[in-house]
Amino acid sequence: MKAILLNESSSSSFNPYFHAATLLAAALAVCLVFFGDFLFAAAALVVAFVSFLTTRHLTRLVAKANEQKSDLDEQLIQSQKLAAIGELSSGIAHEINNPLAIMGQETEWIKHLLKADNLQAPGATEELRDSLREIVDQVDRCKEITHKLLDFARKKEPLIQAADVNKLIEDMARLVEKEAAQKNIQILREYQKNLPRVPTDPPLLRQVVLNILNNAAYAIGKGGAITIATRLSGGDAVELAFSDTGCGIPKEQRDRIFDPFFTTKPPGEGTGLGLSISHSIIVKLGGRITVASEVGKGTTFTIQLPVGLT
Amino acid sequence: MKDFRVLIVDDEVDFLETIVKRLKRRKVDTTGIDSGIKALELLEKEPFDVVILDVRMPGMDGIETLKEMKKKRPLMEVIMLTGHASVESGVQGMHYGAFDYVMKPADIDELLGKIHEAYERKALHENRIREKLTI
Repeated sequence: MKAILLNESSSSSFNPYFHAATLLAAALAVCLVFFGDFLFAAAALVVAFVSFLTTRHLTRLVAKANEQKSDLDEQLIQSQKLAAIGELSSGIAHEINNPLAIMGQETEWIKHLLKADNLQAPGATEELRDSLREIVDQVDRCKEITHKLLDFARKKEPLIQAADVNKLIEDMARLVEKEAAQKNIQILREYQKNLPRVPTDPPLLRQVVLNILNNAAYAIGKGGAITIATRLSGGDAVELAFSDTGCGIPKEQRDRIFDPFFTTKPPGEGTGLGLSISHSIIVKLGGRITVASEVGKGTTFTIQLPVGLT
Repeated sequence: MKDFRVLIVDDEVDFLETIVKRLKRRKVDTTGIDSGIKALELLEKEPFDVVILDVRMPGMDGIETLKEMKKKRPLMEVIMLTGHASVESGVQGMHYGAFDYVMKPADIDELLGKIHEAYERKALHENRIREKLTI
């Protein structure tokens, strides 16, 4: 509201709200003239004039400050964007550099083997084959990274279908359950019955659920439990909560877990894109995803999805 | 709902025959085939709306087949069928555009429900593209 008023004052030269004192003094001057008191009328006019100048000056100052503030906001957003791009590129560089280095080494080795006398040595063909295989593997790894990256950048518009979220989650839970049981991880269900059907993109939501369950199992390692809860939240949203008894996420990492390429898994085990893809999917579905965690106790991911069509 | 065509891909021939028979009995236009490569060859010649694809197959496995299928026919929906419940293949499958996962032994009514949902999605997708092209 304040901002709207300030904007108006900067666009129009005269705003009665800000000049109330001036108007009052001017009105008083008119009244005093009417009563024949010219001296006081003149004084009132002077007061009105001074008040007008002061108000105008103050309004301009406020408008200017406001402008500067929005400039600063803009700069802040811009610098955050740059930081994100910086992090993104260093992530990509890191992910691609490793396979590149391996490919470089293997090509050097192939060059060496291809020298006529080395080619005659026993086992040379087998070694050549090995090197080639390694190169093919690394090319595949790079392909996968770019594929995921494109997937992240591409604006896949969701296709909305009504879904029974309890059923959707249960299907994914069953997929995870067998492997989890082998690691002594129990899956506990706290589904609220008779939830309204949620307009969503079912395969995209499945991707998110599977990803979170997979992360939860990873965080637990061996022995523990994942609790899946669903409930109606505030009448216009369905809430899905996934709690694990895993290692938890330290506070300094919690702000970054949805950033692309942020991972705590050892190199080669995760690209750090799972949660950022999940985040962008949930946002596209009109929902929200949040995390709460305590180191040593576990982590809870909560997703809220709107029930009404957006 | 309009008639649609379903392709089942599974190397276990007994399972394949049973499921094709059961779906046909429910008036679903179903074709069965026993390998990923053969399925891809068939897709060159005939259109299908929904594919049920086994994850674990010798030769070309389910995930590789899924990737190739999505390249060839991006609008066709693919439901993965899995007996061993591997989380890794689940994550990959969903990532490469699978519609859903069904655990073996699949309950026929559940499978039918998912086939209908998958077909509905394909129809929605086609409609959207049609709308975009006419605007």
